[in-house]
Amino acid sequence: MSATRRLPWLLLPAGLFVLGIYAWPTLLLLRNAFNEVGPTGAMVEAMSLKTATETFADGFTFELTWNSLWLSATATTIALALSYPLSLFLFRTTSRWRGILAVIAILPMLISGVVRVFGWLAILGDRGLVNGLLQSLGLISAPLKLVFNWTGVTIGLAESIMPYMILALLAGFGQLDRTLEEASRSLGASPARTFLRVTLPLSLPAIVLAAGLGFVLSMSAYITPKLLGGGRVFVLATEIFEQATTNTNWPVAAVLALYTLALLLVLLALSNLLARRLRR
Amino acid sequence: MPTRRLILKTGLATIAMPAVLRAQSLSGQITLMSYSGIFQDNYTKTVIEPFMAAHPGVKVNYAPGGSSAQMVGTIRAQKADPQVDVTIMDVTTSTIGNIEGLFDKLTPAEFPVLDELLPEARAAGGEYGPAVTFDNLVLVYDSALTPPLTKLADLWRPDLKGQIALAAPPNIQGLALTAMVEKMEGGDYRKSIDAAMKKLRALAPSVNTFEPNPDGYSLILNGVVKVATGWNARSQIYGDQSNGKLVSLLPPEGSVFQINTINLTAGSKNRAAAAAFIKHALSQPAQKAFTERMFYAPANGKAQIDPKAAARTAASPENRARMIGVDWNDILKVRDQWNNRWRREVIAQAGR
Repeated sequence: MSATRRLPWLLLPAGLFVLGIYAWPTLLLLRNAFNEVGPTGAMVEAMSLKTATETFADGFTFELTWNSLWLSATATTIALALSYPLSLFLFRTTSRWRGILAVIAILPMLISGVVRVFGWLAILGDRGLVNGLLQSLGLISAPLKLVFNWTGVTIGLAESIMPYMILALLAGFGQLDRTLEEASRSLGASPARTFLRVTLPLSLPAIVLAAGLGFVLSMSAYITPKLLGGGRVFVLATEIFEQATTNTNWPVAAVLALYTLALLLVLLALSNLLARRLRR
Repeated sequence: MPTRRLILKTGLATIAMPAVLRAQSLSGQITLMSYSGIFQDNYTKTVIEPFMAAHPGVKVNYAPGGSSAQMVGTIRAQKADPQVDVTIMDVTTSTIGNIEGLFDKLTPAEFPVLDELLPEARAAGGEYGPAVTFDNLVLVYDSALTPPLTKLADLWRPDLKGQIALAAPPNIQGLALTAMVEKMEGGDYRKSIDAAMKKLRALAPSVNTFEPNPDGYSLILNGVVKVATGWNARSQIYGDQSNGKLVSLLPPEGSVFQINTINLTAGSKNRAAAAAFIKHALSQPAQKAFTERMFYAPANGKAQIDPKAAARTAASPENRARMIGVDWNDILKVRDQWNNRWRREVIAQAGR
């Protein structure tokens, strides 16, 4: 057997692992989606589409979808706007601190999501760092409402996806050819024009890849909307948790989980398709 | 020649022998699943440790189970191979477990202690595990608040704008609050909650968070809010631990019982020890010890509670008179409907 033909065997351990911890529970989830819940909340074993039909007939499901998409879009846009220049700097810098700076940029990934969120509460709360500073400067008389609402969730989520997007951008910047930018400058283009006409188009595949990743991570984010939303931010991830662990309604939770999974797969496929087209 | 003392000792030993033999014959381990934190700490000291002292052959493992819904989820997932023998959880979820066949029925023949329980404690579980503790919804507030809270209607005070943390449905605190506000407005939750919704809609802009994390008590102690909804037992404990910074109020407009039931898992691997533990947990000494330690009202009507401790629970006649008769089984049926109304009519009014 040639080395090339043996190569797929390398996938076997990971394949078995995924099968055990992902595929099997997903199948159980699918089974639960066909169950029903009685009037007292007790689960009834069934093979019916009643739960799915009722879930999709409820306008709130589409409100949740829209909320999730909107939140993901805003958080991803903010994160991208902050991550792109930062990543470009890290990619281009020749500083001896480059490695350390890159580690600092992705350091939040190493901290628990819950801890990060409580950090944001300390920063954005009524008596937090931001409101304290603004009040001490006399810029505001009453604290701004920055947490327990959409603002807080959007800020927290943008921060939480930034490290992943930075990594994706750094990986995607491989196609950035410095000589093309130098050629543009030598032909008289200003730095801004060079950026808009050369750098940005060349980095579009990286942007799409990073945005896709950020969007998908935002769609499935649970901790940030749950802890920073103050019960005002309803998205698919929080609703799935609520149905499973507060209402004991596993069938509805299963239907919503599979629906979210399908949405995420479609979004990932679209993002990959777009990135591939841009690379051509 | 046998003395009178020897005869007396022999007689007493003969009477006590069956109980001693029973205690000695129990062995192995059982797992109790219930709430974590101060509940676990205090329940271990006042109920579990005395049980293990009386039954040296039995080890009780305490498994913190998260919320009641998470606990019933765990029992449901382990139905084919139960790992938990006894569960203490909220009646709204134990009812689900009873219907799904996750728990065993308890008979007075096997559990004579059932006859010592208050009628409402027996009624809570029906033929299944009865109530083991009663708690009630209270308002908790910062002692620095002036003027202090004296009634539920005070929540609508303009000076409390942005200073309130309340747990909205599906959290049972939110469900209980709905019934309380409806009663305050002169209605009856069994007929309609329209009046409560209207009143709560007006309260929405004053609410800082509808989902206090980690809980309302912490938010007050950390200065994030001044008022929150809470449970009496924990409020009493945290009030003591904070040297009075946290004050609790049982609103004169009325409150609602939260009931924890004790449940024997169907197919328990050590049923005899699990049953013995349930008998012990419902017994007068265990009920007295836990109530006096943590201020849950007892389920055993014969438990002689220290009057000072009883006054801090819903067990005292004065507090008991304020309780609104709520049938949680009724509320379970309308929980989703109430939840949706809260989202659309109350939380939506609080702004994004």
